[in-house]
Parts: sequence; structure tokens; C-alpha cells
Amino acid sequence: MPLNRRTFLELLGGSTAYAFTFSCSDGTGTVDEAPVEADAGVIANHAVRYFVDYTEWLFIHADGSVTAHAGRVDMGQGLKTVLSNLISQGLQLPPEKVELVLGDTSSCPDDGPTEGSNATRIVGWGYWRACERIRDHLVERAAGILGVSPKKLVYRDGAIVAKNDPTVRLAIGELADGTVHLDTIEPRAWYSSSTPYVDRGTPSVNGEAIVTGTLVYTGDFDPGDCCYGAFASSQYHIQLTEIEAADFAAAAAVPGVVKVERTGASAMAVGESFTSVQRALKALAPRWRIPERDRILDVEGEIRRGAELRKTVEEAGDPERKLGSSPVRISETYITQYASQVPMETETAVAEVEGDRATVWASTQAPFKARVRVAKRLKIPEENVRIIAMPVGGAFGVKVDTPAPDEAALLARKTGRRVKHVYTREYQFNGRARYKEAVVADITSGVTENGRLVARTIDLYQDEGFGSADTYDIPHVRTRLFSSPMPARHGTMRGTSFVQTCFAVESHTDVLAEALGIDPLEFRKRNLAVASFGPLLDAVAEMIGYQRAPDGDHGIGVAICHHGGRQLGAVAAEVSVDRTSGVVRVERLAGAFDIGLVINLNTLTANTKGAMLWGLGFALFEEVRVDGHQSFTRGLSDYRIPRFSDVPPMEIAFLSNETKDGWPRGCGELPVIPTVSAIANAVARAIGVRFHTLPLTPERVLEGLRES
Amino acid sequence: MARAEKITLKVNGEPHSLTIDPGEPLLWVLRDQLKLTGTKFGCGEGECGACSVLINGEVFRSCMVTVGELAADDQIVTIEGLGRPGNLSELQRAFVDHTAFGCGYCTPGMIVTAEALLRSNPHPSRDEIVSAMDDNLCRCASYPAIVEAVASVAGGVKRED
Repeated sequence: MPLNRRTFLELLGGSTAYAFTFSCSDGTGTVDEAPVEADAGVIANHAVRYFVDYTEWLFIHADGSVTAHAGRVDMGQGLKTVLSNLISQGLQLPPEKVELVLGDTSSCPDDGPTEGSNATRIVGWGYWRACERIRDHLVERAAGILGVSPKKLVYRDGAIVAKNDPTVRLAIGELADGTVHLDTIEPRAWYSSSTPYVDRGTPSVNGEAIVTGTLVYTGDFDPGDCCYGAFASSQYHIQLTEIEAADFAAAAAVPGVVKVERTGASAMAVGESFTSVQRALKALAPRWRIPERDRILDVEGEIRRGAELRKTVEEAGDPERKLGSSPVRISETYITQYASQVPMETETAVAEVEGDRATVWASTQAPFKARVRVAKRLKIPEENVRIIAMPVGGAFGVKVDTPAPDEAALLARKTGRRVKHVYTREYQFNGRARYKEAVVADITSGVTENGRLVARTIDLYQDEGFGSADTYDIPHVRTRLFSSPMPARHGTMRGTSFVQTCFAVESHTDVLAEALGIDPLEFRKRNLAVASFGPLLDAVAEMIGYQRAPDGDHGIGVAICHHGGRQLGAVAAEVSVDRTSGVVRVERLAGAFDIGLVINLNTLTANTKGAMLWGLGFALFEEVRVDGHQSFTRGLSDYRIPRFSDVPPMEIAFLSNETKDGWPRGCGELPVIPTVSAIANAVARAIGVRFHTLPLTPERVLEGLRES
Repeated sequence: MARAEKITLKVNGEPHSLTIDPGEPLLWVLRDQLKLTGTKFGCGEGECGACSVLINGEVFRSCMVTVGELAADDQIVTIEGLGRPGNLSELQRAFVDHTAFGCGYCTPGMIVTAEALLRSNPHPSRDEIVSAMDDNLCRCASYPAIVEAVASVAGGVKRED
């Protein structure tokens, strides 16, 4: 629903404000072309990967304070800090004068889900550029009021001041008179060469609330007279099963229980406390129908069976013929595991339903998607649903399309009570899981004897994917996607499909280099599609000390990748492998990332280190164990995530060779991707065994050592 | 099913009389009865540490402790008992200064655990910090900054020799 004048005036209420809307657009796919002005919502450039015109709102109030409304959410990446920061700097105001309203569907524009590492680079950058325009706009407006030429005025510290007489001054609040400027304010030039803006250390705006336990996350929100609700969880993939029988009477008899009832394939329970609901579901003791589908126990078998070609994502030259004529040709298969996002705060929502209206407080990355889900579930119009996005206790993709808001709304409607729905780990891991998909990748490359890639084919059994043409210069390529009928449900998870493909491509790259007797780093440099990878490789090589001979059973590996709108990354890892226990330990990590303008070095550094540790977890131990019928991962004790003692010394660097246009390119997921492959390559160099399947658990490493 | 009993809990220095099922985990009593929501639900199986509280100075997982197991004079301290906005403890201040969090959901448990460590060992080495905190999970993986924050309060890290 686009925001209209009526909503705007409602928001203004009785107070007097000066309001702007402006659009911010993503043109980050454009890198090599001449700058093009954003014009009427169209960037006329074929290199643009996708283009979305977002709207944002900004109010200037009579007291000189500013309120900005964005439909995005802060999920720990520091968006609130970054936006406050940009606006307070952009309008030269003290931070306490800037208030942000995030993720409330009743008062924020629908500016897309907070995913794909794009909030800072699209919304943040949009605000920053819009502030330039707003300053000019305010100067012009003040000139009209003062009856002087705008050239004689200057914007300074939240006021418009005469250049030759500082006593002639209009504070921005004095311009507030209830005017609504609905005209789109286009940032002046999307590809300007203005000075990159870097903030090194602004602290988190939520810091004091976080450390005192007073930040109100969804589960902490108390709407008054609220009960808890939940659904029964099956060990089987939910679309393959349903409850055959259950003891509803016993469940309803649990003290504090408000209602127990069958809902679709499952059953719901609502009670006065979290504990009463869990006890009711235990007493319910549902018997789930055993799935009828025949069952293959290994994931690769499940993925390959019945897979069909869905699309070709990359094609150039004649790869089949060139592979046949290549002097060196290597074919391999790589397999990655199912994985789970595991935010520390499980999916959570609080719902209130009155007649055909619903309000849901939710932990979500996408309040406007949640609104659609709730409206559909309750069969009410979207405009009757208000989603209020709360601070998010981690999401990592699982809260983009979270069912918690509509489930909570259903529970509220069924009981006529306000209901808090807090996923248990069992429900999060299993009953309602949307996993990072396991992927099988068949990759074949042909190389010349002096180490130039000639041809490559990649077949990915994967929902979404890309090849390696953005990373390596290969004249003859073909990358195809096959759809796999694996019944475990897939969802988004940090790094999306890039992690799996990069593992295959970058492991394979090392195998090729080794077969040719060329150093893997040198081999990469000979075949780069984008020259800016070169300085990144040099940077990580220097940080990790690539040239030295590592100790026995230590190894150093490197990997590179691209992600999203021209984010480039290189990671080097040093590992040690204990040949007796099979335990891999990451001794050091070095990462270099070419991501354009850095907005807030503080949050960026923290996110980047965290993302590299995600890579470590995915490489070494994270795995949801499933087969064609069910999941065997039920709780946190079954799923190992990185912890304090896993953390190696880490060094990172940010470069900006790829683009000089002053545009931030995002970095939320990028560092995960090459870290996985760098660790796998380091293990291979440490013990001389190449692993084609993740994660590199002690059992798998020992098996590999035995077979070598 | 257990029935409600009168139970007295001393939380952050204040006694609270409650009529409650003694089998109820302390976590939910803190959150829902006493409205101390700084103590978080993370897993309900004692694996993550988000619900850590101090009981007589020792760290416990409040999801694994039932209120029936507690005595009226047991001193329970939650994150709210360590400092308030505008009046942060030294450790809380250090977490802010080091941005030792991403989403912040695990942070109360981290601070409570670090508080117990520093009370028993005011000058821990980095290894001792890692070992004392290792059962507290942070999915944003803010671990390096957390170690730095705790070490800064430890008044400089003890030499390893």
C-alpha cells in the first residue's frame, strides 16, 4: 500500500511539521558504465541488476526535532544506529534530536524486507543523499520567508543562516507549519564523486537498553491480559504428516489451559503461562502419521532423485566441446549440508484480534510480508492489519517470511484473547523449520597447461544459484539449476545460495591449481574476471603470512567470492588438524572486502567478524540432520554453533578499488561465504585430503584420513 | 499436576511473595510475574545462557531452576539488579563502549556470567574469560568484543606467565 496524503496528514496529527518523502533506488549493479542520472524512476543502464524505487519519510517538527519513518527493522546489524547517525550528520543535528520509527506498517512506508545486505546501502544511502536535497530545500524555503536570495543563505547546524550576518537565522523547526511535501525528492546524483563519509565510532543507540535488559523485544512486550499459545511439533516434515490421534481431554485438563484444539494437520494450545502450554502439548501426546513417501537415507540420493532441469543461469561459448579438447580436465561433486539460522531469540509474535482487525507485535525482518500473511490467515483486508516490528533478537533470514505473526493471530482469534507465541527450539528447528538448503554441485573445468581456465560447467541442485562468471574469466561456461524434490522445507539464511556454490567453486579451484602444480593464490590471479580481486588476495596473503611454511599439520587456504551488488571478498584461513581426534581448529582468519563506502566502521567491523565466524561454523560443524521423512535435530544440544573457544585471532581490511562512486555496497553476508571455502582449502593443504562434503566434523576428517 | 503454593523469592534485594506452582521455572516467574524481562528465553534446555541469573553469587540457568527449589533467603540477582539506564555498572558500561553485542538478546546473560567471573576472579586472563563464558552463546558472534569488554573491566589482563 503506498502511503498517501491522508495517512500522512494523520501522522502529522495536531502537531506542525515539515514533511518530506523521497525515493531511494538501488543501482548498485552499475559499476563500469558512465554515471547516469536517476530520472523518473528509471536508470537507463543495462548493467543494473534490479531496480526498486523505495519511498522514505522524514518529518521536521516545530521543536527542531526530526522523525524518520522507514519500514525496515534493526535486527542487530545496527540499522537504527546507522540511520540516526546519517540523518543527524546529514541535517547537522545532535543525535538526540533524531527519532526513528522503524517497521510499523501503520506509519512507515513499505520499503522492502530487511534482507540481502541491502538496508544500509539502499535506505541508509537514500537518507544520506536526501538530506543533501532537504538542506537545499530548506534554504530555498527560508529565502522565501526572509525575502532574500537563497545564495545569501547557508544551512548550518539545523538552521538557515545569512552568510554575512549570523544574527539572521531561522531554525528548521521554525519552518514547520504543517506543510506536506509529497513531491519526490530525487537525490541529486546517484553516482557522485563526493567525499566518502566514514563514521568510525558512534555507539549503538540501543546500547544502554541492551546492557540493562530493558530493550523490549517482542517476547518482553506485555499488552496486558495476555496468554501464551503454541502448536504441536512433529519430528516429520510437516507437509508429509498430520496428527492421527491425540489426547485432547488430557491436554485441556492441564491447569491454566485456556483452549486445546485441532488446527489443520497439527493442534494448538493456549494457556495462561508458557509452561502450561508446553505441559498441555506434552499431555496431548500426538501420534503423527508416518510419511508414506519412500525414504532414501542419504541427502545426496534424495536431492538427485527426480531432479529436473529448471533453468540455465549462465551460458557462453561452447563449454562441452572445449571441455573435451582441454589438456587438463577435472570433474567433481561437492555437497553442502542442511543448516539452521538459530537466532538467539526464536520466532516470536504477540497478537490482538478484535473482529476483523488485528494488531501484531512481531520479531520480523519484513513487517509488510507479515501483514500479508496475517490478512490471508484471518481472511481480513490487509489495511485492517497493523504489524509493529519490535527490536529483533537475531534473524539471519528465518524472519523474512516468519509464520509466527499469522500463527499468533490465529491463536488470538480462536480464543478471543491476546496471545504471545514464542517458538520453542523444537518448533524452530523442526516443526516450523525453513532450512538453508543442502546442495549438490557437479562441477567440471578445462584448463590449459599454463593455468588458464578455458571451460566450465556447473550443475547445481539448488533453488537459487549463480555460477562463477562474476569471479573467474572463463570463455566457455554453462551453469544450470536443477530443482530437487527434497521434502525438508527451505528458507533463506545468511549468505543464501552463495555459500554452497562458493564452496564447490573455490574447493575445485584449489584442486585445479594443485593438479597443475601452480600455487592456488597465483592460479586465482591468472584467471580473475574482476581485477579488484587482486588487491584483496594480496591483502589477505599479507595478513595471514601466506608465504611462510606453516607448522606440521597446519595449512593455509584462500578463497574469493562476490555477492549481491558488486561486493567482493577474499578470506585466508590457517587451520591445524589433529590427526588422532580429527578435530580441525581454525588458528587465524584474515578477510579483505571491497564494499565501497563505509558508513559506520564500528558496526561494520563487528558484523564482519561475526559473519566470518558464521563461515567457521558452517565449515566445521553446523548441520541439521534430515532424511526424506524427518529431522533428527531437535534442540540446541543437537546443533553446534560457534562459541567463544572457537574464535581465532581475526584481521580484516576494507578496500574500495572496485567502485569510486561513493556508494556503499553492503557487507552483511559477504564475509560468511569465502570463509567456508578458505577453511576447507586450508584443511586440504594441512593434511593432503580433499573433502567434498561439509561440515568437516571430526568423524568426517578421520574417515578421510583413513581412506587417504 | 502440581498445585499453587505460597513462595517467597528474594530478587535484586527485594522479597516477593507469590502464589505459584513450585514446578514453574524461575525464568518465567521473573519474566511474567515480576516483569523482569531482561532475563531471556533462548532455548529452555540450559544450552545457551540467555537466561543466566546469579543465585547467591553463582551463575544458574533460570530455565532449568524451578522456584520450588529456591529458599526464601536465596539471593537472586538479574541483569536489572546490576545497573539501570543512566546508572550502568562498570561491566555494562564496558559492553556499551566496546559494542560487545549485535542484536543484544544474549547480552544480559553474558553480563551476568561475566559479573560472576569477575567477583570470583577480578583479574582473569583471556583464556580464563573464554573458559568461564564458553557456555554462553551469541549468534551474532560478538565474541571478540565481549572478551575485550570483560578484559577491560578486569583492569588489564593478567600476564600468562
